[in-house]
Amino acid sequence: MFERLFRKHETYLLIIIIVYSIVVTSVNKSFMSFENLFDIIRGSAGMGILAMGVLVALLSGGIDVSFTAVAISGGYISVRLIMATGWSNLFMAFLISCVVGIAFGTINGLIISYFKLPTLITTLGTLNAFHGILTTFVGTESVNAREMPECFVRFGSAKIIKLANDQGGTYGLSVFLIPLIAVIILTWFILRFTMLGRGIFAIGSNRESAVRAGFNIKAIQMFIYAYIGFLAGVMGVVAVSEVRWVNPVYLVGTELTVIAAVVIGGTKLTGGSGTILGTILGVGIVRILYNTLVLLGLSAAWNNFFVGIIIIASVAITSYRNKLKAYRSLTFRV
Amino acid sequence: MFRLKRLRGLDTNLTILFIILVLVVLVLTAFLPGKFLTGRNLKSMAFQFPEFGLLALAMTLAMITGGIDLSVIATANLTGILSALIMTHYITPDVSGSFSALIIVIAIFIALLSAVVCGLVNGFLISFVGVPAILATLGTMIFYSGIGMAITKGIGVVGFPDSYLAIGSGTALGLPIPLIIFIVVTAVVALILRKSSFGMNMYFVGANPIAALFSGININFTILKTYMTTGLLAGLSSVVMISRFNSAKVGYGDTYLLQAIVVAVLGGIDPYGGYGRVIGVVMGIFILQALQNAFTLFGFTPYAKGLIWGLVLIMVMIINFITARYQERARISRMLEDRRFNNGVGNDADAVAP
Amino acid sequence: MSNEFLKVENVSKSYVGVKALDHVSMTVEKGKVHCLVGENGSGKSTLIKAIAGVIPIDDGEIIINGKPYTHLRAIDSIREGIQVIYQDLSLFPNLTIAENISLNQMVERRKKLLKWSEVRSFALSELDKIGISLSVDDLVEDLSMANRQIVAIVRALTQGTRLIFMDEPTTALTKKEIDSLFSIIMDLKEQGISTVFVSHKLSEVLEIAEKIAVLRDGKIVGEFDTAELDTDKLVYHMTGKKIEHTTFEYKGREEEAGPLLEVKNLTKRGNYEDISFELHEGEIMGITGLLGSGRTELALSLFGLNSPDSGKININGKRVHINSPREAVRLGISYVPEDRHHQGLFLDQSIGNNIIVTVLRRLLNRLSFISELKKTAFIDKYARELRIKTPSLGAPVDSLSGGNQQRVVIAKWLATDPKILILDGPTVGIDIASKGEIHNMITDLAGKGIGIIIISDEIPEVFHNCNRVMIMRDGKKIVEVDPKSTSEEELYETVKKKAAAAGRY
Repeated sequence: MFERLFRKHETYLLIIIIVYSIVVTSVNKSFMSFENLFDIIRGSAGMGILAMGVLVALLSGGIDVSFTAVAISGGYISVRLIMATGWSNLFMAFLISCVVGIAFGTINGLIISYFKLPTLITTLGTLNAFHGILTTFVGTESVNAREMPECFVRFGSAKIIKLANDQGGTYGLSVFLIPLIAVIILTWFILRFTMLGRGIFAIGSNRESAVRAGFNIKAIQMFIYAYIGFLAGVMGVVAVSEVRWVNPVYLVGTELTVIAAVVIGGTKLTGGSGTILGTILGVGIVRILYNTLVLLGLSAAWNNFFVGIIIIASVAITSYRNKLKAYRSLTFRV
Repeated sequence: MFRLKRLRGLDTNLTILFIILVLVVLVLTAFLPGKFLTGRNLKSMAFQFPEFGLLALAMTLAMITGGIDLSVIATANLTGILSALIMTHYITPDVSGSFSALIIVIAIFIALLSAVVCGLVNGFLISFVGVPAILATLGTMIFYSGIGMAITKGIGVVGFPDSYLAIGSGTALGLPIPLIIFIVVTAVVALILRKSSFGMNMYFVGANPIAALFSGININFTILKTYMTTGLLAGLSSVVMISRFNSAKVGYGDTYLLQAIVVAVLGGIDPYGGYGRVIGVVMGIFILQALQNAFTLFGFTPYAKGLIWGLVLIMVMIINFITARYQERARISRMLEDRRFNNGVGNDADAVAP
Repeated sequence: MSNEFLKVENVSKSYVGVKALDHVSMTVEKGKVHCLVGENGSGKSTLIKAIAGVIPIDDGEIIINGKPYTHLRAIDSIREGIQVIYQDLSLFPNLTIAENISLNQMVERRKKLLKWSEVRSFALSELDKIGISLSVDDLVEDLSMANRQIVAIVRALTQGTRLIFMDEPTTALTKKEIDSLFSIIMDLKEQGISTVFVSHKLSEVLEIAEKIAVLRDGKIVGEFDTAELDTDKLVYHMTGKKIEHTTFEYKGREEEAGPLLEVKNLTKRGNYEDISFELHEGEIMGITGLLGSGRTELALSLFGLNSPDSGKININGKRVHINSPREAVRLGISYVPEDRHHQGLFLDQSIGNNIIVTVLRRLLNRLSFISELKKTAFIDKYARELRIKTPSLGAPVDSLSGGNQQRVVIAKWLATDPKILILDGPTVGIDIASKGEIHNMITDLAGKGIGIIIISDEIPEVFHNCNRVMIMRDGKKIVEVDPKSTSEEELYETVKKKAAAAGRY
């Protein structure tokens, strides 16, 4: 049993996280405090939600880079609409954002499933297209904390557990954890317990066989990209509530980091292989890294440097092992 | 995955591209009388596009080998920052002209050298370690921009000597220097692709890396050299870019990444590798530059431009998809005909058994 | 009429003006084993896809169990009980055996949710029906070819199947596994399930089939009882020609001439063990044995893609270490791979480019650029020498037939002036008429002094074209035989017996 455990990618990720945490804590004790951990969780919720979407896309053998544009579109439109109509209601916020998200996601799905275009380049195109639509037709004014509708502000500061710290202030476990966990469970359920989920794996594993087995490829792909849009919509609300301001240029540019996190988590770019746990751990590594760099005395300017190194190291190791396997078994198939 | 079949009748596609270019110019001249087709405007375009053109060429090379280089912009930024730092550090107002010239030369050399190193890392990851090009250049893109960020903290490096600015804004023989650089580089790249064994190896590796291996081609070195070249081109681009902007900063040219891919695909480069010609990419660059210029004249925001490029990219791919479908059917019928032709068989269905 | 399960009546299908199927009529009876034979391009796969409802037909009817269809859909075909096992098996390598077996079932029954216990128990019970036990939680990508085949068959049987098409099922199987497959087909027959077996291995076809349908150029030449046919007659129907066999005559060598290639005690763990042989100029040595005997692995070691653990390789008396295909080419070794499409050719590139890919260095002029003149000269020379028939050498190589494509591969290697030419399965997937021509070409090359190794599992091929045959089994060299001292049947028996004695499970 132990041997099987050690062959799993997730085990190594967990070990890395544990070792790294120990090292950081020895340098700066405040890493292991509840306050810091809660902070990490609060900051990870957005990336985690998006990462679930990326996971689904990668499992099907495709990729989607447009989700940040979708997310910010959903969030921004939601804020502006609520400001305009005065319906300051969190449920409305999510509803509007998710509708926008699903709409954009469906466009992706239509293009990809009907024209069978390469997913990377297509979603690169829609990333720019969606962002352009948002900024051109909706506007580019930012909305700051004072103007932000109440529902977002309350959402952003609500806590599940409240505790007091030494300086007399309070901190707590953010409610962002709830949508995050909900999304994780939903994604897990779809992937593991529905034929739809099996279809996603099948397409990523061997597309031609999936066709012959009778899977409705077009419908499944439509679902995948619409689902990503839905998740992006959820994340949009979380993101604007988290920082309590919104500007249409926010978020776009971070998509590759999310993808990197999912890949670090062990999901294969070629499709058919990847786990929810791995994705969570991958996001965890990236977020912990962001968090600890500050604690170690490095400014946020170093974020990309270290994330870049981790990505390179992680994909290098996985790819090299795959390459050795292919050469040893004389398959040579790339 | 659906593979874009090679566009048969290459010359027809280039002709179509040329016609599109001419049409675009005509239409824009009509819509922007006195603004588009003026000497001043053309001259300013000739200063603007070469830095992008070099990046597009870099992307083209990577795509011909079946890969992609997402890190070209980050590489250009980083190398630009490095050479900028050298120049601003060593060239103070009191140094002599010849010393200043020496430093500039060193700075440019460092820029190019570091760019080649960046490309070398990419090439090594992709060929020897076996990392898929998307992932490798994704990682290096983040890493290189990270280095640049860590060095500059996001602040631009400014204060170049006037003699350096001449690169980006000066002319020689009546032509803008960036344009001259672009023309020379394009000619060299085209020559390499068409006429050198390195170039042909690139096409073979892109078309079918396994068959290339089995044919005795050294695929690792081919890929290594390819990405070193893309790095070099990115470095050249940075030399021009920072001269024109008179500063070096993380994030310059981010929009160029999508545009480089658009231009490559528009110019007939197959994203799956093994096909495409420089002349097509050059025409794509011209079309893109003309449109970009027109958009600016029309007053579009950068986002609106991004919107249009996104749509253009998708449209071009859809058109490729449709043409490829027709060609697939034609191919099947040709194949069946060849078999009949070579078996030399007629309608012997009623032949009597021996 | 009631013992007919499937009746194809006057079906036609065209692609852009060329008839892939031309008024094809065929019957499959219940509980019988049929074989469909035809050359590449005869329309076999088109016919199967039409029956499976994967492609639409232009004309005619497909009558299944009495029900006529003019517009058959895949789901109809499946519901009527027709299953196709394609050559690639259409499995999902990243999924478990249990999932692969149960998935089709679930799709067809339009299930939305999964119960994993159901998935597993279903798979286990289906495997039980054939009397095979496998660990259903294993990933398919970790299985051997034979086990994958079993998973594919079990999957095909789960849906009330009445007719199974098997497309070239035996290409990757050992003899014992082929026997198992045949006994499974017999079991199916007893259950009233028909099998249509598509194969180019005529000996197998004659062994297992009860009725044989022959396709040629999109038309059915005839449907015959197996008793009426033998190999020659079958070949005649498939090609419309009588095929002559010519035998290779080795010219012999001078007394002191040392061996061109010497392999001594070559070993690679898991692939082959203690292999020793010699090859002289002008010889054609055959290496045969069933799949898994280590033949291709040995060849790849000679070509630089599979470094041996121990042993020596000498070329013209000098010891060599071959670490990459480039080095192999430099040493004068050429390898024509079995997987023509992925390893041998650049399908989208022109015929000309495919020929010169190995010799770019030789086309350089003084400025180190490729000289168009030299390039065209090279291409024309080898296209002529190998008689590659095509309207244009600039056309992409995937527009050629299998036989012509193989000539292109051989051409590109001849261009390197090889001393040693290794051909792995040189006539696999090539129409019978072209086979003979390629064999003639190979024997001509031997006449020019090249040392040739042919790796093949077609006994007639090595029997008629080699002056020596080495039989391998399980990575070991068993024996070297001189074809002249034996007969084709005896050779066949030797190979079969030696392998059977291995007991490969």
